[in-house]
Amino acid sequence: MEKFKSIIRDYPFIAFIIAFVILAFVPSVVFTDVYQSHLATLIFVNIVVAAGLNIVKGYCGQVTVGHVGLFAVGSYTAGTLFLYLGLGFWVTLPIAIIVTAFFGVAMGIPSFRLEGPYLALATLGGGEAIRLFIENGNFFRSTFGISDIPTPSLMGFNFDSPDRYYFISMTVMIIAVYFSFSILRSGVGRAFMSIREDPICAAAAGINVKKYKILAFILSAMFAGAAGAVYAHMPPGYIHPNNYTVIEMVTFLAMVVLGGLGHIWGGIIGAIVITIVYDLTRPLYKYQLLIFGLTIVLTILFMPKGLGGFIDRYFLEKRFKKKTGTEKT
Amino acid sequence: MLLKTKQLSKSFGGLKAMNKVDFELPKNEIRGIIGPNGSGKSTFFNLVSGIYDSDPGSYIEFDGHDITFTPPHEIAGYGLSRTFQLLRLYQDMTVLDNVMSGYHTKVPYKFFDAVIGRKKIWDQERAIKEEMMELLSFVGLADYAELNASELSGGQRRLLVLARAIAMKPKLLMLDEPAAGLSPVNVDNLMKIIMQLKEKYGLTLIIIEHILKVVMDTCNSVTVFDHGQKIAEGTPAQVKDDNAVIEAYLGKKMDDEEMRKALAV
Repeated sequence: MEKFKSIIRDYPFIAFIIAFVILAFVPSVVFTDVYQSHLATLIFVNIVVAAGLNIVKGYCGQVTVGHVGLFAVGSYTAGTLFLYLGLGFWVTLPIAIIVTAFFGVAMGIPSFRLEGPYLALATLGGGEAIRLFIENGNFFRSTFGISDIPTPSLMGFNFDSPDRYYFISMTVMIIAVYFSFSILRSGVGRAFMSIREDPICAAAAGINVKKYKILAFILSAMFAGAAGAVYAHMPPGYIHPNNYTVIEMVTFLAMVVLGGLGHIWGGIIGAIVITIVYDLTRPLYKYQLLIFGLTIVLTILFMPKGLGGFIDRYFLEKRFKKKTGTEKT
Repeated sequence: MLLKTKQLSKSFGGLKAMNKVDFELPKNEIRGIIGPNGSGKSTFFNLVSGIYDSDPGSYIEFDGHDITFTPPHEIAGYGLSRTFQLLRLYQDMTVLDNVMSGYHTKVPYKFFDAVIGRKKIWDQERAIKEEMMELLSFVGLADYAELNASELSGGQRRLLVLARAIAMKPKLLMLDEPAAGLSPVNVDNLMKIIMQLKEKYGLTLIIIEHILKVVMDTCNSVTVFDHGQKIAEGTPAQVKDDNAVIEAYLGKKMDDEEMRKALAV
């Protein structure tokens, strides 16, 4: 066991490969109908977005409310590339990531001057501007949405049904989570956190504040772009501007806040919980916004570090007790 | 000369917070900076470390680099580290992360290695972690490494800020009131740790301090500021007897004639 632990410590990607193998068997062993595969794909898409949002909001502390706009950019890059050039998933995914990264730069520039709620307003405007731009103009087929975006196929095998597409979304999710994990565990993650806590002191400690802020925005935009492309190609391959409103943004925020702002697994825990709750409360759709708004407020009030921080705290107190033999005040 | 300023000035509107200060600091010296409140001590620190931009015509040189208009993170890269009067702890990070983020300028690997998560990253991270734990146990905070910085007591926070500033192995360490708000015993303890660290890392120190005993006991030389100007400089003994210094701290000494006039009113 000790040896296994040290191998994982040296090569963390092995743990992700194990997770990959386990998740690969989930559909055939656990799931009973196709809808559950579809839900799992949605969870994976949300995990990718939330992991990205956790970088910029949880770690770097930049309050962005325009992330859904970046998600839309990813989706619509994939959608329009298919619509006008007939390109498939394997081409549109990397292009969507790159294009969204550029939009991330634009979204991040206000953060040099603005902080907190003012930055939230600026990014909210950015996100809404993107959605309105897509909505008004026939170029993006705004009235009926873009439909029949094809599912990817690999060596003759077409991932054309939810239980097959599950493998695509899962792979993207595992890779994205792995990247976010290694970024946040390294010195880059620490630099992000220092900027969140105190930009002036971070600058005095040798951290290039502007560079790292824009880096956080670019990274999280790339996550959102990847998620958007996966979402667009998800069977039945239909996207419409109505799927990228502020309401979606609130759910993304609820995921990160509930999971734990600035916790390495925060976005992931939150995405799983919120997506399932979202699905279960579908009959009560009138109250869904109320539920998620309340979730955010209550979590911030009573569990400021979210579920992730709550679990961490429990183990930390155990360890501290063991080490010093005293109760922590 | 490790640090040199020429005609260093800074005005906020009409207020001259720093007025044509020439300052020189040789290597391995412990320099104390004293002066009444609002005399420009902290402004001096902020100008040198790049937090404020100095007025045109100023010149600051550190270790052979012209740093007059260099952004703060590059100045830190040259080996200048500082602490703040208001601590500016990273409250919501663990004690260990606080210290490790101070090491930022010395982190050896590149960003893309970190994204891919190569093995050498984790090896180097572990090496950094061990080094920082050593530093933490040196200042006596090793047991608290996993706690949030906000959970420490006032004295422990002072130590943590010190450890964070030293983590980057600076050439020059500027301490802004390191002992403010500490009890006399803790002050002695802190100064002892600072002196040990100076020996260990071969630091040059500038200390702003209001506790004159600390300054007089530990510093090789003292600079006195008043109203943004340097009014005296020399060994602690020289400064103590300087008329300008006494005037700045206690007011002007009157002769008999002036005294009689003042009392007659």
